[in-house]
Amino acid sequence: MDSLKINDNINLYYVPMTKLKTTSIGVYIHRPLREKEVSKNALLPYVMKRGCALCPESGSVFRRLEELYGASLSAGILKRGGDHTIYFSLETISDKYAPNGEPLTADSMKLLMSMVFEPSAFDNDTVAQEKKNAVDRITAEINDKRLYAQLRCSEEMCRGESFALPRLGTKEGVEALTADALKEHYEEIIKSSVIDVYVCGGADINALAKQVNDCTANMTFIKAQIPPSSLFDGRGGVKRVTDHMDVVQGKLSMGFRTGTAANSANYAALMVMNSIYGGGAHSKLFNNVREKLSLCYYASSSLVRSKGIMFVNAGIEFQNFDKAYNEILAQLDAVKNGDISELEFESSKNALVNQLEAYKDDQIAMQLYLIDERISGTNYSIDKMKDMINNVTLDKVKEAAAEVKLDTVYFLTGKEA
Amino acid sequence: MELKHITSDITGEEMYCGTHPSGLGIYLIPKKDYSETYAIFGTRYGSVNSKFIVPGETEVTEVPDGIAHYLEHKMFDQPDGSNVFDKFAKYGGNANAFTSFDMTAYLFTATEHIEENLAALMDYVQSPYYTDETVQKEQGIIGQEIRMYDDSGNWKLFFNLLNCLYQNHPVKKEIAGTVESISHITPEYLYKCYNTFYNLSNMSIVVVGGFNVESVLDVIEKGIKKNEPFTEEIKKIYEDEPSEIAKPYAEQKMSVASPLFMIGFKDTDTGYGGERLIKKYIEVSILLKMLFGRSSRLYKELYESGLINNTFQTDYTVQTSYAYSAIEGESRDSKAVYEAVKNEIERVRREGLNEDDFNRIKKVMWGRYIRSHNNVEEYAGMFMQFLFVGADYFNYHDAYEKVTFDDVKRRFENHFVTERSALSVINPM
Repeated sequence: MDSLKINDNINLYYVPMTKLKTTSIGVYIHRPLREKEVSKNALLPYVMKRGCALCPESGSVFRRLEELYGASLSAGILKRGGDHTIYFSLETISDKYAPNGEPLTADSMKLLMSMVFEPSAFDNDTVAQEKKNAVDRITAEINDKRLYAQLRCSEEMCRGESFALPRLGTKEGVEALTADALKEHYEEIIKSSVIDVYVCGGADINALAKQVNDCTANMTFIKAQIPPSSLFDGRGGVKRVTDHMDVVQGKLSMGFRTGTAANSANYAALMVMNSIYGGGAHSKLFNNVREKLSLCYYASSSLVRSKGIMFVNAGIEFQNFDKAYNEILAQLDAVKNGDISELEFESSKNALVNQLEAYKDDQIAMQLYLIDERISGTNYSIDKMKDMINNVTLDKVKEAAAEVKLDTVYFLTGKEA
Repeated sequence: MELKHITSDITGEEMYCGTHPSGLGIYLIPKKDYSETYAIFGTRYGSVNSKFIVPGETEVTEVPDGIAHYLEHKMFDQPDGSNVFDKFAKYGGNANAFTSFDMTAYLFTATEHIEENLAALMDYVQSPYYTDETVQKEQGIIGQEIRMYDDSGNWKLFFNLLNCLYQNHPVKKEIAGTVESISHITPEYLYKCYNTFYNLSNMSIVVVGGFNVESVLDVIEKGIKKNEPFTEEIKKIYEDEPSEIAKPYAEQKMSVASPLFMIGFKDTDTGYGGERLIKKYIEVSILLKMLFGRSSRLYKELYESGLINNTFQTDYTVQTSYAYSAIEGESRDSKAVYEAVKNEIERVRREGLNEDDFNRIKKVMWGRYIRSHNNVEEYAGMFMQFLFVGADYFNYHDAYEKVTFDDVKRRFENHFVTERSALSVINPM
């Protein structure tokens, strides 16, 4: 990876991935996750992509993308620990494949830079439309019950700290925003945030750096830092929450505090531990809760790297709650006791290594990996991370498992149940 | 065996392919410098194939709905009691399988030990083992899977639309069947379907990624079990489908946040595959973007009036025996969106399509094709879908070049007939 410093806040990173037929550019604006701006940050990218100096109205943005052979633009918001990241991402076919020699990458960068540094759609109508859409997005989270159950579990678990704030902001927060307040927020954050620009594919990095520099040379920036993330440490004790809704299948989500931070030397061991426990079809949860006991269609565990949290999710019959709950904890005990076969251990490491290696073939996955590493402050390369995983011993897995404590049990069940 | 080597100057892609004496189609697409390899072993058999005539027989065989998907689950039980996933996991492979309307496929991705993973794939897909006990056990898991879909607004929205568009075609039935239909599945039925549709002459294997062609071919050849290829086709029977739709409207209440809508247009120009089908696919896809895409007049109007949001999207599904286009999204007033769609079609019928729009949007279809070569999974998936409708993904350019503005104008008249459209809505409780 090459990196070029544009100014105190803006860095440009280039990862050559010329084996792919596309070039992807991602712009990531790092904001602290906090109550006073969470809803503003969540709304902002959707308004910014509506129009800019280069393409003043939505129709012209879309026509421009079509001219670029259907370049795909996405904009939105990420939540990683204490970092609330506004992002814009544009993927276009690489110049090499442009049928008529069009400079597609340079044109893509030009559009992105205009969107980020010259947004122009802060009028009342546009902001009102996007406020409504933002509220729809928040209420629509209920549609995917599996994800919804985990979001609710996370919210209950972290209540009282910033991580409990919803990624998409709150309905009330969004509704209260005015076009002027949003514009003001934009003007403040654009000069006072760390902005990372990632380019993956085949491009002339110096020419792209010049483009970024030309767009920002006349602006004044206030030096900023990546917002810090802290390990979730909980309150002790187990919190239990049940919601009733008109559903046919129950959704169980269990939150655990792992006590292992992203920058801890033991983090790789925690990754292996999670993989053994519930990280795929090779895992204990899959093979016992689903295959052996036929209790559910899915049962899996996942880590929130930036907070040291592990979630277990399962879709079950309402009346099987106790059986599933007990089995999920029994399997965790098995991991803690080191009751892990050679096959489980090796399969889990292989699955993780395999996944990391596959990022090298995927520009978006590569960007997200690098952003996660940047936010964690670890900045491990993929190969370094692979080595760390390969070096994990069974004892280290047991050590990591020993620190895992149940914190919150959330169950989404039926109206009658 | 010797494979044919094919290259494309336009995309820089290359492929080795051929048909094995067992009947299996083999397609190997090496990608320089790729970490990942994806292999997919598929059969031309899906949820719509519950009625068929086995080659050499005269009687029609009819089996319970949902059996193709059930069979897919049961392929993971092995005669020696071993766990299929363990065999892949041991070599870092990530294995999976899926059943769609027209295809069942078994696949893995891996970055190392490609040969070992591939040997495991070849072996288990050719090792059927069904007993009363194992078949019984699956009822619980698939029952939960069906229930999971029962809670999915988008899934219900989709099948309710298909039940509006189709009177008889089995595409209107749920892929996994119903809790009732799967209760009739027996080992005998499973063996009957397996022995018919998993005959290697009805199957293909596609491998895409960073692998060695010689050693991969060697593993495939050694992994092929004894198979007598069919000399005639499996006769798949579909009820006659009239051109009229079943009903114009369906509505269901579920626990969703905002109302969901899906508008469908039934395509009656069906019954063929090959390049002609691909050309139709490109034409309808261009039209959907011209009429309802992000840059269209209607999208802007609906979006700015708050009737639709970013979830609005269009899609065209095309197979030899059926095809339909769909427009879906969220709206507080689904009927108003449907009216606006119908009005826009009438307006375009009066005023005509815009040639600049056509030229610009045709480029999008090219970009989409080029981009699809990036991801091994998407590439192999598209390749196999084309293969199963009798088309060659390497020759996409030929069909693409042939699409003219006049073709698209003709297709518009033929496809966007409001009498053959329907609206499906899911409303919140």
